[in-house]
Amino acid sequence: MSEPHEPEAGGWDRRRTLGAAAAGLAAVAVIALLVVGLANSGTGTSINDALAAGDRPDAPDLTLPVLFAADGVGPKGSEVALADLEGRTVVLNFWASWCPPCRDEAPLLDDIAGRYGGRGVLVLGLDTQDLSDNALGFIRQFGLTYPSLRDGSGDSEAAFEVTGLPETFILDAEGRIAHRHIGPVTRPEQLTRPLEQVL
Amino acid sequence: MRRLASLALVAVVVLALLPGAAAAVSVNDVAREVRCPTCNTPLNVSNAPVAQDMKQYIVQRIDQGWTKQRIIDGLVDEFGSGVLATPPKSGFDLVAWLVPAIAVALGLASIPIIARVWTRRSRAPATPRPPTPEEAKRLEEELRRFRD
Repeated sequence: MSEPHEPEAGGWDRRRTLGAAAAGLAAVAVIALLVVGLANSGTGTSINDALAAGDRPDAPDLTLPVLFAADGVGPKGSEVALADLEGRTVVLNFWASWCPPCRDEAPLLDDIAGRYGGRGVLVLGLDTQDLSDNALGFIRQFGLTYPSLRDGSGDSEAAFEVTGLPETFILDAEGRIAHRHIGPVTRPEQLTRPLEQVL
Repeated sequence: MRRLASLALVAVVVLALLPGAAAAVSVNDVAREVRCPTCNTPLNVSNAPVAQDMKQYIVQRIDQGWTKQRIIDGLVDEFGSGVLATPPKSGFDLVAWLVPAIAVALGLASIPIIARVWTRRSRAPATPRPPTPEEAKRLEEELRRFRD
């Protein structure tokens, strides 16, 4: 009768240990990727939380090309960083040509740009996830006079935790988010009231 | 007759070399390769407003004689590489291609190892434990009854 099987010294056991270690490492890597993916998915709430607590969180540092140059922002195609605009109060409006409520609020934003331009307020459009020709057509159609940046990828929406278009932020002269308006601006007071508080 | 056949062959080659004479591109050919940026579904099954604009863009570019790849490149210029239905095979996106391939390779490589483990287990002789006194007694009785 033979003896019970003994593993080959230093051979099979070592290989099995290495295999288990590699499998463990692969499992950890997959779990890490899933965790990173989940953490980056969805929309954050840190801006809302800060505003609700009465704070003014720093605006994300975006650098984007100019779609439509005006009011000192340009020339078209040049890169503009939000940080470059510090010193001015900025009404930052996320929009797209395919977004019907954006059409409704565009004339109102243009009116605010005209009324507050003399007080150093810059109304700045941010066209996102849109075809540039359609976006320029939108600007022409409504005769908009305020400048717009362009972000085809939509990364800027994620950075500002935008939940849907349109959405408008008021950035103070220090580049901090002072106010957020979710949805279309239907009445001027929705922006002029917080603007007066910021100015 | 032979001359006619030669002429026909030349005509086919010339036509094939002419720009725009390549296989006709359909909207779906391109739409399958990209996704709707707002809803993250393939463009050919999306009816989101931006998807409709993108399909219109594709139609216009096809009419202008653009190739499929040129139209896709145009959409990447507009929306970034994230608009592609499959990630590009370069840079960090290469991970999306390599990880499944490595996983499959590891799985295939582990088959002979696992098979070896199982074979050894089945080959390893069982080590019977000695019977308890009760079992030994019962066995004796059974054997005696069998002999009788």
